[in-house]
Amino acid sequence: MSTGAGPGMGLSPLVPSGPAIADGAAPRSQAYRPGPPEDVMFPVTPMLDMAFQLLAFFILTFNPSAETHIDLDLPATPAALPSAPRGEAPPMLARNVDSDLENDVLVRAEADELGDLKTLRLGDAPLPDLSALAGRLRRYIQLMDGRPLRVRLAADDRLRYEPAAQIVATCQAAGVAAIRLTQPGATPELPGRKLQTRKSQRSGASP
Amino acid sequence: MRSHGRRMGPGVLSPNLTPLLDVVLQLITFFMMLVHFGTRLDGATKAVRLPLAPAALPGSDLTFDRMSVAMDAQGRLLIEGRALEMQAQAAWWAAQAKARRAGLETLGEPNAAIDELPTVVILRADRAASYRAVRRALSEAQDNGFAHFSLVVLRSQSR
Repeated sequence: MSTGAGPGMGLSPLVPSGPAIADGAAPRSQAYRPGPPEDVMFPVTPMLDMAFQLLAFFILTFNPSAETHIDLDLPATPAALPSAPRGEAPPMLARNVDSDLENDVLVRAEADELGDLKTLRLGDAPLPDLSALAGRLRRYIQLMDGRPLRVRLAADDRLRYEPAAQIVATCQAAGVAAIRLTQPGATPELPGRKLQTRKSQRSGASP
Repeated sequence: MRSHGRRMGPGVLSPNLTPLLDVVLQLITFFMMLVHFGTRLDGATKAVRLPLAPAALPGSDLTFDRMSVAMDAQGRLLIEGRALEMQAQAAWWAAQAKARRAGLETLGEPNAAIDELPTVVILRADRAASYRAVRRALSEAQDNGFAHFSLVVLRSQSR
């Protein structure tokens, strides 16, 4: 039986007995019936304060590094291994002369007087910018049908490091398997220079 | 519609903070996982302004055996706060290679004297340095047995 309290009232005080019955009121049961459980209030606010402080700390110290690195595997020159007993050095791929070096794609970069990139060529074909280089290299890679494409970069000695690094990064992003750097001062002649030389020879030979 | 708040009494409204706390803790977890306390700044120096190469791919983790080398705008190697002139660079590379070969021999590497060095040379060259200087440094390192290089660049302008 109900104590007379409505639902949701929780624990209600027991109805006093004795005098009420003696007064002729209707008898009530004194059996205890628990109401709905009381919600336990957990103090979340201090925890939230700490959480916000931690969050503020991490946001303020968050510095996503824009640094990345371009991996280059350049073979050590045989002269670097003086301790190798003659004839006992194991043949290593990196030390072997590349047999298909002629099949590498040659990227040539010419600089202006300030060291900026003036001319970029893939083989003999001039390219307007680095995105064109990336597009051509991707097409080459598709044509190679799974075989690795390698690039030799012949950059002008006057070129600054930044455009050279951009060329290397572009080749790497295009999916080139290996990048070789020509030795300093070993910049091959550009076609324009060759033509000029031939023209000058002709003009010199002609009377 | 049922109210999300919990009415404690007349005029006292206690909002449900649990979803807010969930989101905040998830954000904390996110930032904790992304935080780097200097791990990506190996060998960083303010004397070197790294080149900007937006096309560069995100780098993977670097190997444990690595050596950081910085190069200033004049093409000089910056070693322990001092700049090495061009003439002294070859000797420095040779000394580094010798020390590393000795270390490999101590560790019991049988072909330490004849193999390429497994050390990755991390080159932080200034964007204004000449390609010739960078290439010369790499060549000198190659001449001394180093074969693995990593050029540090920026994918975007840092803050």
